[in-house]
Amino acid sequence: MVRLITHNLLACHVKGCNSNNFPLAFDGPQIEIREAEFNSDFLMGFFPKIEWSALVNASRQLGDQSLPEQQPDAENIDDALLKALHHVLLEIHVENGKMICPNCSHIYPISNGIPNMLLAEHEIA
Amino acid sequence: MSSTTLAPAPIEDDPEAHEKLHVHKIYDQIAPHFSSTRYKPWPIIADFIASLPPGSVGLDSGTGNGKYLPLPLDRPNSIWTIGLDRSRNLLQIAQNAGGKRREVVWGDALEAGWRLGVFDYAISIATIHHLATPTRRRMAIETLLRCISPSNGRLLVYVWAVEQDHLSKRVLPSTADGHITKGQDIFVPWVLSQPSSKPLDHQAPEGGEPKVFNRYYHMFASGELEGLAREAAAVLDLEVISKPSSASDRRVRQGIEIVRSGWERSNWYMELKRWQI
Repeated sequence: MVRLITHNLLACHVKGCNSNNFPLAFDGPQIEIREAEFNSDFLMGFFPKIEWSALVNASRQLGDQSLPEQQPDAENIDDALLKALHHVLLEIHVENGKMICPNCSHIYPISNGIPNMLLAEHEIA
Repeated sequence: MSSTTLAPAPIEDDPEAHEKLHVHKIYDQIAPHFSSTRYKPWPIIADFIASLPPGSVGLDSGTGNGKYLPLPLDRPNSIWTIGLDRSRNLLQIAQNAGGKRREVVWGDALEAGWRLGVFDYAISIATIHHLATPTRRRMAIETLLRCISPSNGRLLVYVWAVEQDHLSKRVLPSTADGHITKGQDIFVPWVLSQPSSKPLDHQAPEGGEPKVFNRYYHMFASGELEGLAREAAAVLDLEVISKPSSASDRRVRQGIEIVRSGWERSNWYMELKRWQI
């Protein structure tokens, strides 16, 4: 991983970086696609909590065009959307690269699928 | 196997340096061996996870080898738990917990690299007892409370207790018959027997002599965990009561409810729920 589900939850936590600190921008992402088991209950439950534009932009950054720009209403979720959501959230793994804070430019490296969210001492609140 | 009387662990230097030496460095060295001894989920934790509705996403702060990431086993893809740990070597094991690719993050339990209130739940199992000062242990609970939903986020915390049962084989350094009212800082040895461990790349395999690592723990006394939660709530301006039935005036009220707390198998545990009206 990092899958986009995790990316949708991450924010920069450098001392004083409190606004525009999410989503983190990918830099040089190396991705791998891995199949994951489809579970519509999970997707329907998680749907309202998604930061939609962050998810769409991140997916486009990674070369995926399947999600609509606007988040559909819950009543209008069809199978096709669920399958696209499943793929984007759970099957695209960023294995290596960087995530950069749009506000303070702090770099969070990703290596072997593990993002490094540790801060240097002077960056901790 | 006979019991071990544990050595007190005075914290003389800076708490972060103390944790680096007596916690982080050790876990990185013992990771595979440690992981092989941590495989059975505890019942209250398993029940907590089983009660989470489909679509829930949560944080396992101090995931270690990731043994809770695959739960619940009867509906494995209906919730997602993201594992955070300070030990990269343990994370490499957690990444494949239960034979599937998990979401793991290399981070610190005191730091909140998450959107505020983003998680439905968080668990902190045998983690904050490695923090060297009461302030840091309180801050860890603040961090956990900040990352769960202010309207209904749930939190489960487990820490080692001063009161150990006969199965734990650990004896604390104060009198065996005295009632211990204060938490204690101690070292708990880990014996790494070389033949059975798989050395990591940077670790040179040694000859027959078993290596002993002294891990730092703060053992909690009765009521101490709850006390920390109350202090953390005060810092975050949260009331510590059950959710009131209706707002008495137009201001927004926020709080935490201590759903349950107790002692189980040499641990103190506490379950909290955030509310907002």
